[in-house]
Amino acid sequence: MIRAALPALELSDIQGDILRAYGNSYDCASYAFVRIDCEPEQARAWLAGVVDHVTNAAPWSEKPLTTLNVALTASGLAALGVSQETIGSFSHEFRQGMAARAELLGDTGPSAPPKWDQGLGTGDAHVLLTINAQTTADHRRALAKMQAAMKDTGGVSVLYQQDAELLHGAREHFGFADGFAQPAIAGATEDKAPGGGVPERDGRWRPLAPGEFVLGYPDEDTSVDRARRLPPAPTGAMARNGTYMVWRKLHQDVALWRRTIAAAAARYPYGDARKLAAKVVGRWQDGTPVQTHPHGPDPEFDPAAPGANDFRYRNDLDGRRCPLGAHIRRCNPRDALDPAGKLSLRHRMIRRGMPYGKVLPEGALEDDGAERGLVFVSFQASIFRQFEGVQTPWINDGNIFGLGTDKDFLLGEPSGSGKMTIQGEKPFFVSPQEAFVVTRGGEYLFVPGMTALRALVDGTAG
Amino acid sequence: MRSPNIAGKTYSLMIWTPIKPGEEGALRAYLDGLDNGAGSPLAKLPRTHMARWIVVPDMPVAPGTDLRDPLGTQFLLFTSNLDGDVDSYLHELVALMAVEAAEVWGHCVGCPQPAEGVALKAYLHRNQVDSGVAFAAYPNASVKQIKTALDKRARLIDFAVRAQEMKPAERRKEFLEQFGAA
Repeated sequence: MIRAALPALELSDIQGDILRAYGNSYDCASYAFVRIDCEPEQARAWLAGVVDHVTNAAPWSEKPLTTLNVALTASGLAALGVSQETIGSFSHEFRQGMAARAELLGDTGPSAPPKWDQGLGTGDAHVLLTINAQTTADHRRALAKMQAAMKDTGGVSVLYQQDAELLHGAREHFGFADGFAQPAIAGATEDKAPGGGVPERDGRWRPLAPGEFVLGYPDEDTSVDRARRLPPAPTGAMARNGTYMVWRKLHQDVALWRRTIAAAAARYPYGDARKLAAKVVGRWQDGTPVQTHPHGPDPEFDPAAPGANDFRYRNDLDGRRCPLGAHIRRCNPRDALDPAGKLSLRHRMIRRGMPYGKVLPEGALEDDGAERGLVFVSFQASIFRQFEGVQTPWINDGNIFGLGTDKDFLLGEPSGSGKMTIQGEKPFFVSPQEAFVVTRGGEYLFVPGMTALRALVDGTAG
Repeated sequence: MRSPNIAGKTYSLMIWTPIKPGEEGALRAYLDGLDNGAGSPLAKLPRTHMARWIVVPDMPVAPGTDLRDPLGTQFLLFTSNLDGDVDSYLHELVALMAVEAAEVWGHCVGCPQPAEGVALKAYLHRNQVDSGVAFAAYPNASVKQIKTALDKRARLIDFAVRAQEMKPAERRKEFLEQFGAA
């Protein structure tokens, strides 16, 4: 297969934190959903002041104290005066919005949009400002600046704000190291190719084409066929250097998770609760893959080390090491479905989530009523193919993995009726599958490139 | 020669009919209003594995090319994967789904009026298009066999999960009660 040479990524025109993570030096984040209640001209005047401070992807010599990024919903584009014709050139699912696709996403029962936090999923959220800060003091300053700018212009206000904070050791609330396994992207993160790219038959890995994650570049389809045009993208200025973003607030019932795993582990013949939880996730709490270390975590494991994720599922097609329905195996089956990973390579996404809420004290088995969970953020060229293509058939169903109607056990089941099969000499069934994770709200967004942001400000975005 | 529409014991039926100009909207609205699942009119045809109607407004430009191949009018595509032979299936279709069939194909060019019975069946036959490739996930299982198997599978899984907590004698007893006769 001949791959055409890829054009260089225009890093200074792409917003930051997409291709390369800002990293774990930013302890605090705020996601502020802004509502526009004024004429487009006035809103654009406010946006002009924001755009000047947006962090792009150009490499920095010194990390700034805070970063700022901007994304828009479909109704946000309209509120800024973008024409219906141009909005019509965006993807169908983006224009519909996340709430309209709740059934498809499995956001039912306690996760259904009518139960979402007020302000999310209603079309009232127009602009998302994401602020990252190194310290709480920096964070406070950045938020104050944001509020002052809104007050100055008037007509724009924060509709909904979610603050988030890194947990010790970059863990999520169930206790697992999170966020370090990311797709390797040609021209940006090629060093992550072993384990992060596409597993090739000869044992090597190659990075993914950048058009899978940023619009205006060849993707995995177009990069092998010169006759093909670039992947679908909006018309005009927003066709280049932008990407689609999925934002979800996922509440985690840590006590319920701990109780369920403890109760199931009492019956589990092959190990303790730690091992059972690792089988459900596909990783030990420190991030060691169960696939490479089925009996216990590797004390030397370093998630940042090159090759930390360098493993395949070909030698484990029966799931004896890593269960077929383990969370990470579902989300990125690598070569589990076919030897060259062709059935999974078009369904990768960049994840930039962050936990929110305080940790439930270790060992606590009763819920303290506090809100805690994960702000899930993903970037991809196609929400339908990538985010939804994982969420619907891979997380919310088991058919493709030969698991019938089993869902991803970790993410729970609103009706509390599911189970997970842990393959083994004698299979073990973990049940009941409770609603460990409940969606509190979310939005589908578009992250324009820097030129496109300025075109929005100038009213020339179409 | 073997029919290109046959895969194992299943038959792939395709019917391609032009929609009367100006009636596309009414047809779409009618199709949109039909129930899915058990309430679907297609559920009245128990030999159906999978079936659908699609309104095809036009042929899109082939991906990556500028080649256009306009249809000239909108078409209705009906596809069904069914058990057994097509003749008896169409017979059942016009008999058991008479009201909906008359409404749907009544919007199509050349459909007999009234759209019913032998005349409608002949119209559907005449507008059948052979399949390029016929595929069936379970070519040798009937709809009934698949439904029975799914039900048994669900009951077996439920039993297997609960059996983890049972003593051997209890497990044996319940297994024989539930599955011994099968």
